[in-house]
Amino acid sequence: MADSTSDPLALWQKMIGEMEKGFNAFANQAMSSPQFSKAMNQASGATAGAQRQLSDLMEKYLLTMNLPSRAQMVGMSERLQSIEGQLNEIKALLLQMNAMSGITRDSIAATPRPPRTKRPPPASPGAQK
Amino acid sequence: MNAPAGLDLASLPDRIQSEVQRAIQRSVKGVEYFASSGPSLGSTPKDILNVRGTMNLYHYRPQTDEIYRVPVLIVMATTNRGYILDLVPGQSFIEFLLTRGYDVYMLDWSAPRPEEKKLRMEDYVLDFIPDCVRHVQQDSGETDVSVIGYCFGGVLSLLYGSIFHDGPMKNLICFTTPIDFREMKLFSNFSDRRYFDVDHLVDSIGNVPPEMILSSFEMLRPASRAASQVQLWENIWNDEYVKSYRMFDRWATDTLPLAGEYFRAITKDLMWDNKLYDGTMSVGGRAADLANIKVPILHAVAEHDHIVPYDAAKHLIPKVGSEDKEEVMLKGGHVSLVAGANAIKRLWPKLDSWLGERST
Repeated sequence: MADSTSDPLALWQKMIGEMEKGFNAFANQAMSSPQFSKAMNQASGATAGAQRQLSDLMEKYLLTMNLPSRAQMVGMSERLQSIEGQLNEIKALLLQMNAMSGITRDSIAATPRPPRTKRPPPASPGAQK
Repeated sequence: MNAPAGLDLASLPDRIQSEVQRAIQRSVKGVEYFASSGPSLGSTPKDILNVRGTMNLYHYRPQTDEIYRVPVLIVMATTNRGYILDLVPGQSFIEFLLTRGYDVYMLDWSAPRPEEKKLRMEDYVLDFIPDCVRHVQQDSGETDVSVIGYCFGGVLSLLYGSIFHDGPMKNLICFTTPIDFREMKLFSNFSDRRYFDVDHLVDSIGNVPPEMILSSFEMLRPASRAASQVQLWENIWNDEYVKSYRMFDRWATDTLPLAGEYFRAITKDLMWDNKLYDGTMSVGGRAADLANIKVPILHAVAEHDHIVPYDAAKHLIPKVGSEDKEEVMLKGGHVSLVAGANAIKRLWPKLDSWLGERST
């Protein structure tokens, strides 16, 4: 096996690894400064503001085009969520009724749950905790 | 002309031949890479027990003839999907627990919908987790429940455990859980209160988009994505490497948005005021002092964690009120601690030996 000092591939991989570490360390140092935080947050604040304005504009545009607005879609989503919730309630109620009548979820699925009797295996001699 | 020191001329033809073969393989496999989908993740058989908006509670079907008495509820971090703990058969933490005889449940998150931007820390700690614990109790027929929290799932589990300290949590296991948020140096600087207007952000966009969460993670190691793509190209002839790359890459980029109000609370209470570390944290007016936690607790931290450095995580064990408590530091990073080859060898057996004797 070629040693790492003569293997061009190993040298290349080592160089990539070192470059990655070096760049990460350099960037981390630069990003630790308050100036970086200030610049980054100014940029993202401006983006958030622009996003909001765009969103308002789109809302008006959709209204003009006689298309459902975001608020209407959210309303529909809420109704769907409410239907989902009611379905879950019905499911829970059915399970309760089954339990009261002696039919358990296990018996419905015909796969009984294993007993809760497992004990940890004995520690091997000399094993450390 | 002499060969450079250390260069073995006799092996050079073999080396060249091997490199040529790999170059051909790279071209063939490179086409396959783009033409095929990645491995199917999170496929351990499970049933949905409860779904409510962003909250999903799963029960994994037991795989042994007998199981431990105490069921286990895994609380996933709100920024990422739970399938990191259930990658593929043979590399799944969930599968490992099932084959070791645990009854496993998972509280996983889906992307909060726009109308869920109003979810607060209270909703997560005082509603979602207790609701899931109740479902686990009801489904398993057991009162006691062990909780495992990964990363911010650990923070939520700690807040839950410190408020509901009279039970029913029997054991608590945290993976890479931050306590001192000032020690998460870059995140702390990104969210510097002098420059970061969290109110403006949340009021403008509602839920914090996943791209923003992903960028903030990637900025911690800005060169690593490019370097990993170079490594992928070098190893694209190696099916195992490619499979592993695709699994982790898919998970890492599958980041979830965060509910706006919840993000506001994390920023103000944890990043700015460091209340969990100071012992002044409260959720919905209820004190969440870590000293209230008295149950057995294990905290697993990673030696090379660039997201939650050890200095941010090391305070957990000293601050909880438990007598039976242990911190274990293992080789690996924030993700390789819990998933992948390192985890199979190190964390999982350790967790099994710790939790098994406390689950009867």
